[in-house]
Amino acid sequence: MTSVVDQARRLLGRGTPDLPARVDGLRRAVEACRGRVDEEPVQQAADVVERVGTRLQLSGDQTVVALAGATGSGKSSTFNALTGLDLAATGVRRPTTSWTMSCTWGEDGSEDLLEWLEVPRRHRVSRSSMLDTSTAEERDLAGLVLLDLPDHDSTEVAHHLEVDRLVAMADLLVWVLDPQKYADAAVHERYLRPLAGHQEILLVVLNHIDEVPEERRPEMLADLRRLLEADGLGEVPVLATSARHGEGVAELKAHVAARVRDKKAVTARSLADLARAARRLQEASGAGAPSDLPGRTGPDRIAEMVEAFAEAAGVPTVVHAVERSSRRRAIHATGWPVTSWLGRLKPDPLRRLHLDVGAEGRRLVARPRTSMPELTHVQRARVDAAVRAVADQEAEGLPRPWADAVRTASVSRLPDLTDALDRAVSEVELGVKTPWWCRLVQGFQWVLLLAALSGLVWLISLGAGGTLVAPVWYGWSVPALLVAIGVGGGLLLSLVCQGLVRISARLRARAARRRLRAAVTEVTQRLVVAPVREELDAYEAAQAGLADALR
Amino acid sequence: MTPSTHRYGSGPRTPETSDMVTALVRLREALRAAELPLDLPGVETQRRTRAQLVDQLEDYVLPRLIQIEAPLLAVVGGSTGAGKSTLVNSLVGSVVTQPGVLRPTTRSPVLVHNPADADWFDKDRILPDLARTTGSSAGPGALQLVATDAVPVGLALLDAPDVDSVEEHNRTLATQLLGAADLWLFVTSAARYADQVPWDYLRAAAERSTAVAVVLDRTPPDAVAEVSSHLARMLTTRGLRDSPLFTVPEVPLGAGGLVEAEEVTEIRGWLHLLASDSNARAAVVKQTLDGAVRNLARTAHTVADAAAEQAATVADLHADADRAYAEAAERVEEASADGTLLRGEVLARWQEFVGTGELFRSLESQVGRVRDRIVATVRGRPQPAQQVSVAVEAGLQTLLLEQAETAAERAAASWRSVAAGRRLLEAAGRDTGRDLGRASRGFRADADRAVRDWQHALLQMVRCQGADKRSTARFLAYGVNALGVALMVVVFAYTAGITGAEAGIAGGSALVGQKLLEAVFGDQAVRRLAAAARKDLNRRVGELFAAERARFTQVLDGTGVRDAAADRLRDVARRIDDLRFAAELGPTAAEQSALHDLEASDEEAAR
Repeated sequence: MTSVVDQARRLLGRGTPDLPARVDGLRRAVEACRGRVDEEPVQQAADVVERVGTRLQLSGDQTVVALAGATGSGKSSTFNALTGLDLAATGVRRPTTSWTMSCTWGEDGSEDLLEWLEVPRRHRVSRSSMLDTSTAEERDLAGLVLLDLPDHDSTEVAHHLEVDRLVAMADLLVWVLDPQKYADAAVHERYLRPLAGHQEILLVVLNHIDEVPEERRPEMLADLRRLLEADGLGEVPVLATSARHGEGVAELKAHVAARVRDKKAVTARSLADLARAARRLQEASGAGAPSDLPGRTGPDRIAEMVEAFAEAAGVPTVVHAVERSSRRRAIHATGWPVTSWLGRLKPDPLRRLHLDVGAEGRRLVARPRTSMPELTHVQRARVDAAVRAVADQEAEGLPRPWADAVRTASVSRLPDLTDALDRAVSEVELGVKTPWWCRLVQGFQWVLLLAALSGLVWLISLGAGGTLVAPVWYGWSVPALLVAIGVGGGLLLSLVCQGLVRISARLRARAARRRLRAAVTEVTQRLVVAPVREELDAYEAAQAGLADALR
Repeated sequence: MTPSTHRYGSGPRTPETSDMVTALVRLREALRAAELPLDLPGVETQRRTRAQLVDQLEDYVLPRLIQIEAPLLAVVGGSTGAGKSTLVNSLVGSVVTQPGVLRPTTRSPVLVHNPADADWFDKDRILPDLARTTGSSAGPGALQLVATDAVPVGLALLDAPDVDSVEEHNRTLATQLLGAADLWLFVTSAARYADQVPWDYLRAAAERSTAVAVVLDRTPPDAVAEVSSHLARMLTTRGLRDSPLFTVPEVPLGAGGLVEAEEVTEIRGWLHLLASDSNARAAVVKQTLDGAVRNLARTAHTVADAAAEQAATVADLHADADRAYAEAAERVEEASADGTLLRGEVLARWQEFVGTGELFRSLESQVGRVRDRIVATVRGRPQPAQQVSVAVEAGLQTLLLEQAETAAERAAASWRSVAAGRRLLEAAGRDTGRDLGRASRGFRADADRAVRDWQHALLQMVRCQGADKRSTARFLAYGVNALGVALMVVVFAYTAGITGAEAGIAGGSALVGQKLLEAVFGDQAVRRLAAAARKDLNRRVGELFAAERARFTQVLDGTGVRDAAADRLRDVARRIDDLRFAAELGPTAAEQSALHDLEASDEEAAR
């Protein structure tokens, strides 16, 4: 595609500096609209981008002029009159011309152009290869590629298709009408009206004017102008000719020569095609651009969505488990060693959820899975409702196809929801480990227990031996004191620590909740916000591209 | 064949003819009833066909059948600029219709007839929707009548507008006028004779065997031979072998813009011959009328197909909406029955209500003790019962809202995938100012009310059930609210589709409720209560969604597509074919056909 732009840029010197920008704008708009806006106008715009690109790549010095019209209107006679040669078959039998015929003035680069136009080789004629002296008039026409098209209204449908194809490609269209057929619906409704934006590259010829009495001619020409005006072609020049008798042919030739000389037809045609395609695309895409797109969703909606996701991810359950698990561990550490091991018999709530592997364990398991319960219908409904609310707010004021695209994008990745949430939760560092002060307390507990035990052993050995007298300290027996302090202190310490443990567990739970919510927020970003943002970006790109194309 | 033996003879109307008239009138009614309001692919053509059939019935077939002795109407039609008006003037010998160089020329049709035939045309016998004028300044939508002796008795010429100019009005009028013709005098020119548009008309004429005469006008004298032989060959290959072909060379116009008399002698002679020979005239009328009736009967089937297609589309769209909402109701039912509603908020509140969650994990065998605990809890803290029902309410509401949104979205999406459905959605959106693809504005309130009403009804049920037990200590001990909440929990776990981990949580919780209720009411009654409450819930959900679905079905009802229209059209078309064959085969066949019809109508009556 970039080569198109480069090629277009080459035409910069031709007086329309914004043609490459327009082609590029329409191309961007097409890319952004594809799959989001109605297929037909998008495809048409893509075809125009392609065609304009190809045409600009081919010779820009040559102007393709097509003679189009109904059967019997005298296209071939006009062709012959313009070329000055009796090349195209003329006759009374209708339709006469079945093949497109071309005549080229000047040589360079026309081969590729005619290849592109698919004019059969045997129907190509080059004016300069003819053995005649080139007159000043002929030099004027250098760069002209004249096409004689088949008719568009006979019973031969193949002819219509050929005409449709070439009418879309020629740089300048000369419509040859005649007094009998100038008001036919076939030409006005199928060809002229759709070319309303292409006035610059149109020329209308009323041929066979010799058949009309002299005094009626102005009237008829006025009537033809009226019809053209009704088609939206009020500014198109209308010439009266009689190809058979040579009337008006010189004037037609001069007109064509002037257009060929100023070499604007290629650009004009491209611009007109671009404008028409862009306008159609704009219509399909819908106008009315709210410019303040990013971050339109209010924080409350986002918060509501994160809340719904968090609940679906089981964050409250996990946080609860974290609190209980850390309390259990801390109590195990700080409790009186004689009884605290009993707490181990109760299962770790985190293990039940398969969340207890920790950082090292996670490194071993390729993809940890939790045993969180499946999403319930209510949770799912809440998630959907929250996502819908966000999408609605984002899509507010957008034209229909884009609002639909946003809505579709917002739910497009929700099938991954369970998996994504599961992974997010399992990858969060929950921070469940025994705190350092608990280890300190645990050491102290063991010291106390040791003291109690040693006091007990002392007492027993005293009782057994009966010889030694226990030392007395302030009237207290030291071994008994050791036992009493060891047991009492341990119990007291575990009691005192319980309060601390509860506070610390709550703090840890709070930290875990914060981390979990951050993980869940990241999931909503990935599953909902990012796809929606992509659609909004595409909308902005389409708007910007169309604005460039229509500048 | 003489006119008197012919069934469309100029004699009095035969019974067959009146049967045919009845059938055709019924066809007209059936066509009018077969509206084609939906924008299906190709509907434009179908609508036009339908309108053309009605026009042809009213403009030509019915009047011609009723008054078979009316003069022959020859319509001069063709392309703009082919010289129709000049030809008519030359045939008549004076300027009755204004030709011109500007295209298109004839803006209102001119009917030229013999003064003796005036009665046939100045009334609304044919072309009833065109006003009659005698002045020359007739506007469009009028029929200008010109009486002149230059036209023989028994034949009238109608100068129709062109068939191919930019004036769309001309084209439709020309089509209508050609439909009303006994004979087409189709005018073309050397420049025109291979044009697609007139040939479309000629093909249609060949298809319904309308009598056609082709005039090759404005032909350069030196090209006459070549062009006319080419045209003759084209006519032959396109099924118009028997049509006479006349040639009028392009010559300078004589006095008053008329073609010299000798150039049109041939045509004029042929027309006069036709007018004077009643047999030939009857043959032309028979050919065209037979063809028209055959075409009507055949094309009626096309319209019937279109009507059937419309009805099928409506049925499809209906089914789409039905499916979306049925699915939504099913989802709600599923969600409220599989125990998942008991998880999360409801479960927490319920466990809070009956005591602590931990306690109830292993409780199956110790219900008695638990019950005491419950009693204590319930008595001491009446608040939790309220909390459970609020939690249930919130859960159900979320479900209902989301399912209503999903269903509306799904129904609208499947409508939008068809062009006709898209058009209906847009129209409905414009009318109501609200997107059909969203749940209706009042749905949240309606859902709230439905859930609360259900809870209310459930409490009422418990109260009624407990009426005879009101005096018992247990009933009094627990209170209506607690029992109602227990019933709710039982309802949501009733189908017992709970598996694995949930069984321990939800099942266990429900079990407590169930034991509690059984202790009060007995297990039969509990099962009955739960089933009744569940049914009540489903009914209310169904009603809610039915009201939502009605927004879609109302749009469909508003289109006016009738299922029976297609069948009726086909019946009438078949009846017309029967009558046609009967008339061709003779009286015996006619009787058989009548007998067959009698049986058919008996069957119809029996149905």
